[in-house]
Amino acid sequence: MVEPSYPESAHDYVSDSEELERLEAALHQAPKGALVVSAISVGLLLVGWLGLYYLVFLPRGSVG
Amino acid sequence: MAINEEVILKSELRWAIVVGGIVAVILIAILYAALAMHINPPSNREYVDPKTLHLSAEFTEANLGTRVDPNGQIVARVIATQFEFVPNCIVLPAERDVTLRFTSPDVIHGILVSGTNVNTMIVPGYVAQVHTRFTKTGDLLMPCHEFCGLGHSQMLATVRVVRPEAFRPGSDGRIACGDRR
Repeated sequence: MVEPSYPESAHDYVSDSEELERLEAALHQAPKGALVVSAISVGLLLVGWLGLYYLVFLPRGSVG
Repeated sequence: MAINEEVILKSELRWAIVVGGIVAVILIAILYAALAMHINPPSNREYVDPKTLHLSAEFTEANLGTRVDPNGQIVARVIATQFEFVPNCIVLPAERDVTLRFTSPDVIHGILVSGTNVNTMIVPGYVAQVHTRFTKTGDLLMPCHEFCGLGHSQMLATVRVVRPEAFRPGSDGRIACGDRR
């Protein structure tokens, strides 16, 4: 079995403390990124739903 | 700012408010359409004996298909059965209010008419009824959309929507796909 190879830079830290610092810095940004991705995807879903509802479903009229 | 439980909770609360707002917008849109515009799902509740459909007055074979009642109401009656619609083609006019009535003698079926809001379940023992007004002419597909057995995928009918002036029923008020008038 071939061992996976990782780029050297991923482990290329001077010390453990520096690695922890960089990890913490990355984690600070993570929630913002998750919120941006969530907002875009949910926003697109909402726009799609409203578009279908007002432009397709309602103009076809009631069948009840 | 360190990531801790408080920060996570705050972002989750904000997100919950946003999602709550979206749900509220959708609910308000649906309620407004239902209450102000009367756009509701088909809600006819009418019983029929599935064992005697062929003997009862309304769904006997001679009474199926499109018919213009003496009061001018255009009604199409269709039986959905494994695995066909009887009749499998109905003629209806565009730009006129029409009523479609369905029932089933065997299992649960469902129909939709492509490109329209016509969509209902057909349950044995009940008469499913929808009202609509077609805006375009042409042959629209009406497939069964509720799995009803091995032949389900072959079960489809045609709704032939014709121009109002081309909709000319006979003296008995009836009109069928094969008619030449």
